[in-house]
Amino acid sequence: MNRMPVIVIGVFLTFLSSWIGLVAYPYFALGRFTPFTAEDTGDINPPPLSGLAVMGQRAYASSGCVYCHSQQVRQVGYGSDLERGWGSRPTVARDYMRQNPVFLGTMRTGPDLANIGARQPSSMWHHQHLYQPTVVSPGSIMPSFRYLYRTQKIEGQRSANAIDLLPPDAPADGYEVVPTYEAEALVAYLLSLNRNYPLPEAPEPPQ
Amino acid sequence: MSMTFDHPVTTPELDKAERALIDESTRIPVLLFYGSAVFWLLIGTLFALLASFKMNAPHFLDQWGWLTFGRVRPAHLNAVAYGWASPAGIGTALWLMARLCRVPLRNSGLLICAAIFWNIGILLGIFGILSGDGRSIEWLEFPNYASFMLFVAFGLIAVWAVIMFRFRRPGHVYVSQWYLLAAFLWFPWLYSTANILLNFEPIQGGAQGAVNWWYGHNALGLWFTPIGLAAAYYLIPKVLGRPIHSYYLSILGFWSLALFYSWNGMHHLIGGPFPAWLVSASVVASMMMFIPVITTAINHHMTVRGNFHALKWSPTLRFTVFGAMCYTLSSVQGIFMAIPSLNKVTHFTHYTVGHAHLGLYAFFTMIMFGSMYYILPRVVGWEWPSARLIRWHFWLSAIGIGVMVIALTIGGLLQGLALLDPGVTFMASLDYAKPWLLLRSGSGILLTGAHIVFAVSFTLLVLKTGKRREGPTLFGTDQGEQPEALIP
Amino acid sequence: MIDDPHQEPRPDTFEANREGDELNVRDVHGAILREKDDPRDGYEPIPLWLVSFFMALVFWGGAYLAFNSGGFESTVFNPAQVSWAGGGGAPKAPPDPKVVGKRLFTANCVACHQATGLGVAGQFPPLVGSEWVLGEDGHGDNHLVQILLHGLQGPVKVKGAPYNGAMPAWKQLKDDQIASILTYIRSEWGNNDPPITADQVAKIREETVAQTEPNTQTLLQAIPPVQFEAAVAPAAPAKDNAPPPAAPAPATAPGA
Repeated sequence: MNRMPVIVIGVFLTFLSSWIGLVAYPYFALGRFTPFTAEDTGDINPPPLSGLAVMGQRAYASSGCVYCHSQQVRQVGYGSDLERGWGSRPTVARDYMRQNPVFLGTMRTGPDLANIGARQPSSMWHHQHLYQPTVVSPGSIMPSFRYLYRTQKIEGQRSANAIDLLPPDAPADGYEVVPTYEAEALVAYLLSLNRNYPLPEAPEPPQ
Repeated sequence: MSMTFDHPVTTPELDKAERALIDESTRIPVLLFYGSAVFWLLIGTLFALLASFKMNAPHFLDQWGWLTFGRVRPAHLNAVAYGWASPAGIGTALWLMARLCRVPLRNSGLLICAAIFWNIGILLGIFGILSGDGRSIEWLEFPNYASFMLFVAFGLIAVWAVIMFRFRRPGHVYVSQWYLLAAFLWFPWLYSTANILLNFEPIQGGAQGAVNWWYGHNALGLWFTPIGLAAAYYLIPKVLGRPIHSYYLSILGFWSLALFYSWNGMHHLIGGPFPAWLVSASVVASMMMFIPVITTAINHHMTVRGNFHALKWSPTLRFTVFGAMCYTLSSVQGIFMAIPSLNKVTHFTHYTVGHAHLGLYAFFTMIMFGSMYYILPRVVGWEWPSARLIRWHFWLSAIGIGVMVIALTIGGLLQGLALLDPGVTFMASLDYAKPWLLLRSGSGILLTGAHIVFAVSFTLLVLKTGKRREGPTLFGTDQGEQPEALIP
Repeated sequence: MIDDPHQEPRPDTFEANREGDELNVRDVHGAILREKDDPRDGYEPIPLWLVSFFMALVFWGGAYLAFNSGGFESTVFNPAQVSWAGGGGAPKAPPDPKVVGKRLFTANCVACHQATGLGVAGQFPPLVGSEWVLGEDGHGDNHLVQILLHGLQGPVKVKGAPYNGAMPAWKQLKDDQIASILTYIRSEWGNNDPPITADQVAKIREETVAQTEPNTQTLLQAIPPVQFEAAVAPAAPAKDNAPPPAAPAPATAPGA
């Protein structure tokens, strides 16, 4: 094989085949979804994200949550995701149409978060968990994200969004811990993670 | 130009003079790329240690956002993949290309520009990740302002490679050249497509995973693997003075790699939200990888067969054959990991991290070390100052990576089996892995030592320290022993 | 057949790089002088067993792809998926509420109340031996259902310890789901109380349909506690079904 054109053309064609299969086809089949409107309830699925939740996606990317948490409920027979209650059905491609970037993830040092908004709908819990995970999750190896929070002096009365903490994590007397905008956005995003609605290509599996 | 000889010139001498000129022409680009590579190896290793320690002690340095695990871990990956592995590969590749094309390196300006853009890109990218601009798309975390620099650099290198190959000395084209030319054509296409579709003008979410892992797997299989194989295909027969076992196996190995490897990407997403046929196609393509992997293994093994004693003396050969064997090992492991019934245990666990290091370190990095031990004396004009340092380097690296892979494999399997059983709490899956993660940190310390030793060795060589040596620096030469016959 | 590079004509390609330099061969680095020739190819044939193995692999690959591709549809995500609509076979037994309850509890409640049911001291109340769960000390089974439906906020006392948290409402769960969770927590960890049925949950949901605010301890104490008798449950022995008395609608004035 001594001629350059042979090598170049062969290299080009073999690579083109994978480009067609793994780039072009996914773009056409999975990259141009429109949301599905349920006839009976009028729900639009997947629902749009609030503006704060969209900013929360950037906060999620910025802090690298994807390196410990996945966001996909695997198919039946591919693990015990459903049995663990991580979702009422496996996730499908359309579930991610509004996500950018998509945080499918490859590690489960922490639990899957595809439906964390359904499983844990309390924003206070999320703030406490981010500030000091062991407060609400003893034994966790998640690091603290307290750099997303501000400890400030209480002016007059306690802020409405101050988070509840007990010693030893509580701030000194007269001080409170409030989330920064980034923390609020991140929690709004986490609360938006709920794929338990049915889609035509993904009905709920029988119990 | 002219060459002076004080005796009638023989053809072999002319050959060697040619090689000297070729090596001389590669000096600046090779040293630029190798020097950057060693620098980023140290940085990347530091990030690796930090990330590993943070898994053992989550509160270690967790007061600052710029050192949070979610930033240090991608900083590590990008520093070692694009800061160490890629420049080491490029430096090796351009020397191999020049030697095999049998002409001095031309248009070195392209390569010098590329090296500068490259380093700026990596610097911007690492700072970007640590300050929170990381994209959190695996293997493509660099913010756009950094990945753009890398793309320009890659583009320059690809242009250089095509020109170099086009103006080669006519004659037989050796297998390493196919792999290198292919790698230089594949990678810019991969990098630009993935960055455009995921970072610059992101496509809708449902399709992003497929593009992400088409890129991620192909960065390994169509960029690092070809360069590593090209180096092994050159160094093993070169040092031993034997022919490669079979040209036909080389052809089969090259084309089956080109065809099948690129379809593997979806095996990172088994059970995931993608059409069943796409995932199954990748499972099949992964199994088909037995073809290039076994082919290459036979080719290399039969070339070395009968000469394994050479590994006792030659650093080049020891690192390279270690790497080539680990290529087979990590590829076979990867093939089995793509089988769905095994994948449901190993997916999302530390097992995958172990596999990644078996491939990128035990295969690629060790072959890069072997290449650098061979190429640097020729390009600098000085032998390695200390065989003891080389020995320490080898054993710290080999034991370090061995312990790491074993620890993560066992820890990952225990974690995966626990996750598979819904009766076991999630917290318990972590507890099973914890002691093995501690062992991994220990192995990380060994690897850090290895890299510091190598960096010292490298610096001493480039500065031409010590007495001028007459022969090669082989394992055992510090004690005054001289092996017969084997002179690399 | 091996190409010999020495026999090819040598083009003058060296001028491009070196002009006016003199190169003494003896200065050429020793490493290059002692090098062997560049690698060349051997021409051993490909072993027949290897070819056979590869053919078998290709055949397997084709078969695997044919059987695991869901018809190459982009809407089929599980290679083994045929249809969710129950295919033939014996009708399935109704799921055990305790198993379903455990799964739902693990999915939704463990984050706060922990898999052990012990909660987190000072943060989340325990369920083990809790008077709220078991309907003791002035707490009613109806209160328990209401907590699941509308949540619970503000200062509460559980087993003598004070808590001041915010349990969210879970009314988005269906009646049978809430019933199975409550059945589970009332019969696990040493708790031993009768199960709760979907009908009982449905009744309370209907009665409190106008409630929008979360419950507080004060609010609940205004409602007379009711113990559900062991109602009809698949595995429990039949008992007299004493329906709970109609509870007055709780005050929902804002700021109450």
